[in-house]
Amino acid sequence: MTRPKAVTPHTTVIIGAGFAGLGTAIRLLQSGIEDFVILERGSRVGGTWRDNTYPGAACDIPSLLYSYSFALNPEWSRGYSGSAEILGYIDHMVERFGLLRFIRFHTTVTAATFDAAAGVWNVETEDGTAYRGRTAVMAAGPLANASLPDIRGIDTFTGVKIHSARWDHSYDFAGKRVAVVGTGASAVQIIPELAGVAAQLTVYQRTPGWVIPRTDYRTPWWTKQLYRRMPTAQRAAREGLFWVHETMALGMVWSTPLTRVIEQIAGAHLRRQVRDPWLRRQLTPDFRAGCKRMLVSNDYYPALQRPNSKLVTWPIATISPDGIRTSDGIERQFDAIVFATGFDITKTGTPFPITGLDGRLLADEWRHGAQAYKSVNVSGYPNLFFTFGPNSGPGHNSALVYMESQIEYIVRATKTIVDRELLMLDVRGHVQHQYNVRMQERLKHTTWNSGCRSWYLTDDGFNGAMYPGFATQYARQMGELRLADYVVTARSGKRSDDTEHVVELPRRRLPAVRTLERTRNARVPHR
Amino acid sequence: MALDLDAMLVKISERQWALADIDWEAPGAEQISAEQWPGLKAFMADLVWIENVGARGFAAMARMAPTETLADIYRYFHAEEQRHANAELALMKRWGMLDGDDLPEPNVNIRMAIEWLDRYADDMPLSVLGTVIPMLEVALDGALLKFLLDEVHDPVCHQVFEKINADESRHLAVDFQVLEMLGNARLRRLLIESVGKTLTPGLLIGALMYIPLLNRMRNNIVGMGLQEERLYAAMHRFKNVGERSSGTRRVPTYQVLKWHADMVVNRRHPYHLLANSMVWASDRVPARIFGPIPTWFKELTSEPVAVETLPAAVAS
Repeated sequence: MTRPKAVTPHTTVIIGAGFAGLGTAIRLLQSGIEDFVILERGSRVGGTWRDNTYPGAACDIPSLLYSYSFALNPEWSRGYSGSAEILGYIDHMVERFGLLRFIRFHTTVTAATFDAAAGVWNVETEDGTAYRGRTAVMAAGPLANASLPDIRGIDTFTGVKIHSARWDHSYDFAGKRVAVVGTGASAVQIIPELAGVAAQLTVYQRTPGWVIPRTDYRTPWWTKQLYRRMPTAQRAAREGLFWVHETMALGMVWSTPLTRVIEQIAGAHLRRQVRDPWLRRQLTPDFRAGCKRMLVSNDYYPALQRPNSKLVTWPIATISPDGIRTSDGIERQFDAIVFATGFDITKTGTPFPITGLDGRLLADEWRHGAQAYKSVNVSGYPNLFFTFGPNSGPGHNSALVYMESQIEYIVRATKTIVDRELLMLDVRGHVQHQYNVRMQERLKHTTWNSGCRSWYLTDDGFNGAMYPGFATQYARQMGELRLADYVVTARSGKRSDDTEHVVELPRRRLPAVRTLERTRNARVPHR
Repeated sequence: MALDLDAMLVKISERQWALADIDWEAPGAEQISAEQWPGLKAFMADLVWIENVGARGFAAMARMAPTETLADIYRYFHAEEQRHANAELALMKRWGMLDGDDLPEPNVNIRMAIEWLDRYADDMPLSVLGTVIPMLEVALDGALLKFLLDEVHDPVCHQVFEKINADESRHLAVDFQVLEMLGNARLRRLLIESVGKTLTPGLLIGALMYIPLLNRMRNNIVGMGLQEERLYAAMHRFKNVGERSSGTRRVPTYQVLKWHADMVVNRRHPYHLLANSMVWASDRVPARIFGPIPTWFKELTSEPVAVETLPAAVAS
């Protein structure tokens, strides 16, 4: 392997130009770091929102909260915006912060290897170009890859196959016989749209989810005006929504009487919209609310009951050249099958080989489930940071709120590495271990681990996806960078556990931290 | 040896068949004699409904399964019973027993079973349906279907029931495994569950529904010429397989069912006075007491390829 030594390393190499990568870039810029590069495999920014353009795609968290607090948008047209508007917001951020110059499009990363001697991550790409960074940020996202599911006979189908995350906008559904496989978050948005267009729509459901009503509304002109003139008002509204969602954790993260209340709200929604007792039974989940992702929709149930719609709950036996055969022995024939079957979520590996200290491979360590420290760092992989890493998923609040906490942490750690001339910032193995023991212990008491099968869990039932707590708790843990939790190696070669006075810490900008010896538990203040 | 349910689930998913796998136009339908025809029509209609009722039972069991694997297996069994009912309807169609696309009328006892299942089955403990269903399946598999194949010489019928029997043998293997699992629970739990959960109004009504249903079926079949010995043999098999496992013997509902089965197969038992008068009484139940037929009935079809009705505007 040739190492392009001649290339001066960037401060940071960011992998992925979705919400997380761009957010990291903005905060790096705002903290004075301009020497970074963003590697993006696609031809435009937006990540999940670039990929998911199926009809009806929208966020499940109010837009005021599903956006960055450091890039407020007073123009949201609805309570819950559609994918086009969200993508527009992302484009707007790129323009406003001048991020385009940092992005290398059509750049697919094939490997990342840490060079311990240089304290640099070597990031290799498909076209042979190598990028070097003193730190690297894995912002590839958990929902980046989607492929057709492994259903028997899928290759024999002679009609059109479309994955919800790779929508074929050239296909005209009007007058067609269409099947939708899956009834998750994407499906409940697609189904009402297709039901209005297709001649016949058949929905294949494996397990029903809890559906709560969506309180969507068109933003009145005066609120937009108010938010434009007084961003404080928008911040206050955002804060209010944040606390409403925080309260939901009481019912959705843990099984409590509030969980029952949520189930009752969803149950009432079902009873009000579905008259037929058998259809209602088919649509009633047999797991606690919150165990799987909650679905939010007002038009899903009505769409299933249109005269041209049908819900099929028989297991799929095989896909045939003409359609889908279910275990009741019956075949239904289609012109097109839409697979709203979710994403290939890496719960037990990495999207490309990541090699850390002494040649260790992250995919090996994550074989039985991903683990990290505070979701951002992994021991043995110094200076590498994850966004939306292990145990950082919220079940009740905006993913972007969690992402902001991660970004702040990453930016602070990056600044520490730069300002103190560090070679390596590597989380201690035992600290990471203790953190994960605590995480798994706390997860035992959550709804996600209450016995349903979901994409949060590995096949062995290990939950490496969700954070068992409030967003506030998560933000608090991310608000402190405890250097004592890391092996800190200075460029001079001294390690924090070699001697008492190891890293010569510059006092400027970080007055709270003096020397490691005196600040074993020192916290870098959260700005 | 304990059955590996995970392996069983894989096997079940691999052994799926469809109505389209069978050539319903193949020669042989003419082998049904004119004398056979009316009796066979009534028998097949009952069979279709029994399969459909069994399907609904498995749907309830999927809800109460203690593990996700077993729940998946029951979801398959629910569909497979439906497939059997669909295939039997397709046979009826082949033999000209369906009046247009209309389904055969369910008899009054079936209607009662449907009402009961819809109202109570989802709340029954697993041990109740977990015992009743294998009993019915043994009777169906061991007596009725064998009898049918002896009487009917249409090769398509044999082809269909060969597939159905293969499915049923997997059902029985799982059924008895579950009975054993239930029986291995602590005795205290078994008793609490039996007394506390089982002896409910729902179960008593269930028994009132079940007794005449079974007797009507039995009388009909014996009337068609089925030798009672076949039923004896089937019940004997139910007991035999059950007795092999110490776990199953400990399940109180199994003991009750076994005791009941002994009475059913013994024509001279005074039980039949009661059961037959219940059949007589149920014939006098006015149809209006039943609610509308649940919509899961509408899932039945004799068509291998579903013909969905398009809304008029689109169809034109």
